[in-house]
Amino acid sequence: MFVYEKQLQYPVKIKRTNPALAKIIISQFGGPDGELAASIRYLSQRYTMPVEELKATLTDIGTEELNHLEMVGAIVYQLTKDLSEEEIKKNGFDAYFVDHTTGIYPSSAAGVPFTAAYIQSKGDPITDLHEDMAAEQKARTTYDNILRMCDDYDVKDPIRFLRAREVVHYQRFGENLRILTDKLDSKNYYQFNPSFDKKCFKKRK
Amino acid sequence: MTQREIMLKKIGTYKFALKDLQLYLDTHPKDEVALHKYAEYEDILKPLIREFESRFGPLTVKSDNMNKFLWIKNPWPWDIEEDD
Repeated sequence: MFVYEKQLQYPVKIKRTNPALAKIIISQFGGPDGELAASIRYLSQRYTMPVEELKATLTDIGTEELNHLEMVGAIVYQLTKDLSEEEIKKNGFDAYFVDHTTGIYPSSAAGVPFTAAYIQSKGDPITDLHEDMAAEQKARTTYDNILRMCDDYDVKDPIRFLRAREVVHYQRFGENLRILTDKLDSKNYYQFNPSFDKKCFKKRK
Repeated sequence: MTQREIMLKKIGTYKFALKDLQLYLDTHPKDEVALHKYAEYEDILKPLIREFESRFGPLTVKSDNMNKFLWIKNPWPWDIEEDD
């Protein structure tokens, strides 16, 4: 169950609009390594996690990603608030504008709509945790690329916060993988699916 | 920053510390130092939220005030507040 808290996880207060920047940052809303994909990935994968620590981590990180989705949405919203028609045309925002006006729509920077094909839920915790660690690194790289193209402190500040969270999540997923493999029979980690083949767990002494 | 934003930022800082500790505790559930830190920050946060909500309205939906449904009131988290 989820309860909404009427507050961003980290404040977003952007004074200057910048539609060109909004166009690239939207990718972290609904793009291939964005926050929507992240939250849906973890909140879907958690059901078949076989260990308490893993169920908790996927639930809590999946929930945090929803905070991040909300922050990225706020950044794009504030960057495109009260634009004139001239600003929209001049900054290449017209392609987005024609379909969505200044509504926040989950798509990549190149305009590809969000698709569940960005995520996987494989029902095998070793497979899923490897995907999750890769996903955190891909999101971190995307934030690095956004920071390269951004010179407004008001935007950089929350983007840096989001980037740092990718690093922390990567660490936690790495710990999850270790916690899981510690419980498995070390002769054959990769021959079994720990969610499906119960015999792959170490025998209790 | 407005008075509201200053208070909200302080609340957000403690909430964030708690969230980060929560993720740490998910993989280190027996770490007593982290557990104590969690309880310590929770104790600091509770009165801050109470004070904020009495001045500026609820952060989570509730029916404390039966005269008016204050939950709907602006600003919502994505709105930009004008400085005082």
